[in-house]
Amino acid sequence: MGLNHEAAPVQVREHFAVETDEQGVRAKEIIALSTIAESVVISTCNRMEVYVAAEQADRGIEYLTAYLAKNRDQERMNYLYTKSGEDVKRHLFKLVSGLDSMVLGETEIFGQVKQAYKQALEAGATKGVLNKLFQKSFAVGKRVRTHTRIQMGQTSVGNVAVDLAEKIFGKLKGSEVMVIGAGETSRLVAKSMMSRGASGLTVTNRTMSKAEDLAAELDGTAVPFDQWENVLSRVDIIVSSTGSSEPVLKAAQIQAVRRKRKYRPLFIIDIAVPRDIEAAVSEIDEVYLYDIDKLQHLAEEAKESRQHQVRLCEKIIEQEL
Amino acid sequence: MDRWILFTAVLLAAAAALHGARYLSRGERSRWTVLWMLGSFACQFIVLGLRSELRGSCPLGDMGEMFIFASWALTMCYLAVGSVFRLSLLGVFTAPLVCFLLSMALVPGMLESNPPNANHIDGWRESHAAFSVLAYGALGLAAVAAVMFLVLDQQLKEGDFARGLFRNLPPVKELGLVVRRLLWLGLFLLTLGVISGLVMKVSGDSQSRHLFAAAGQWVAYLLLLFISAWRGLPLKRFAIATVILFFCSLLIFALL
Repeated sequence: MGLNHEAAPVQVREHFAVETDEQGVRAKEIIALSTIAESVVISTCNRMEVYVAAEQADRGIEYLTAYLAKNRDQERMNYLYTKSGEDVKRHLFKLVSGLDSMVLGETEIFGQVKQAYKQALEAGATKGVLNKLFQKSFAVGKRVRTHTRIQMGQTSVGNVAVDLAEKIFGKLKGSEVMVIGAGETSRLVAKSMMSRGASGLTVTNRTMSKAEDLAAELDGTAVPFDQWENVLSRVDIIVSSTGSSEPVLKAAQIQAVRRKRKYRPLFIIDIAVPRDIEAAVSEIDEVYLYDIDKLQHLAEEAKESRQHQVRLCEKIIEQEL
Repeated sequence: MDRWILFTAVLLAAAAALHGARYLSRGERSRWTVLWMLGSFACQFIVLGLRSELRGSCPLGDMGEMFIFASWALTMCYLAVGSVFRLSLLGVFTAPLVCFLLSMALVPGMLESNPPNANHIDGWRESHAAFSVLAYGALGLAAVAAVMFLVLDQQLKEGDFARGLFRNLPPVKELGLVVRRLLWLGLFLLTLGVISGLVMKVSGDSQSRHLFAAAGQWVAYLLLLFISAWRGLPLKRFAIATVILFFCSLLIFALL
């Protein structure tokens, strides 16, 4: 029985949340209830689920519902889902494989389930049924991750851009990013880069105040729009999204600074339509230029690949059931 | 006996190449690549040991031995560099070159069946030959890493990421760094080889030409590294130059 990010909003989920190191304690409380012999409590930022083995399924659900309903109103209780029998197995196998996660294929959930089970085991809240179920689920999770690529391939433009940046520069620590134009997509891409370790950010926009706002949000520096060329020689990544009808960055401008840059790789993301970056820029040896079409195409390819991987995962899970 | 062990070395390198390529096409990496290469390395080592016993000197007396020694140096560099830089994929690219070099050694006429036993060993000549071939190993591996960069660069330029190879190739910057470091290592070893060559007793025009070619090669590599460090060079041109220089070096010594 439980709820997750799809079934309930965060305002409801937070009422059921259990502290990470309290999961074993709660599991032990639950097995004190009549008819419930075993229990595992899993609580993460996206879900709270209680797995039980009961002598009588209906009575077990009844007692568990009563336990969870303590100090909670019926409206919140309506968000809970209940599964039994084979559905529980299927759900748990999908969970550890990352198929039920907010970010499909993420690997953190595997460790979280393992930890929750370990706490329940140490608290003496598990016996034969749940021990066998959870051990089997870990084996299934490993098999899925070994034989599929479910955890690979980013599906948002921002994350695709960051993946490409890492393919060029390796770790982004020490990389300098310049944002030309302070639109929402530029902001998201720049934010993704900074979150992955890029250490310097310069923002420029025709409206200086917008540049300053974005720079302040991401702990960067704003420069006036007529001075951003001076920064060109030291940046590694450029994200451009102005509303200009003409290219703002031309091949000649890059050529002028190549030697000063010592021909270091330069990654340019052109999110604007019409494009901000002159097409001839991509002919320059050390420049990798991606426009919004290319990035979206990559994100779509990753989504399709992910769907294929999901089907493979489900096939493996059905074999294991 | 040495030919059979050499043949085994070729098969093991071929297994590394095919096995690694098969896994790569599925977007996976195989731990077996390094094991196949380790096996090939061991066989090459044994062959070189047997040849040095036959000669009573460093096994660099005929073209076959030169190919084996170069392959051994290349494999050794890969085993050392691959683990340090976590470039296990290097094995998939190195194995075909190793396979080629060893196969060349198997060509009839390359390995003397009964090499004359050395009644006098010129230490400087032996050092020149050994350092030069070790340099080939490092420079060859630099060429392999340069090819890896060119493949990745092409895929990044075209936005072609469907293949498993793209996922597994190391980043551009890392490959550039590895190529540079291997070139510096190769240049250092080549310097020792050239110095030894200058000190050794030279007899006959072909040996003078050989030394001249080695010095020319040294100058070419030094120029490449100097230009790259001082003025800067786009990685693509740097990589192409690395590959061309290595193959020119192989050709020159094959012809001499």
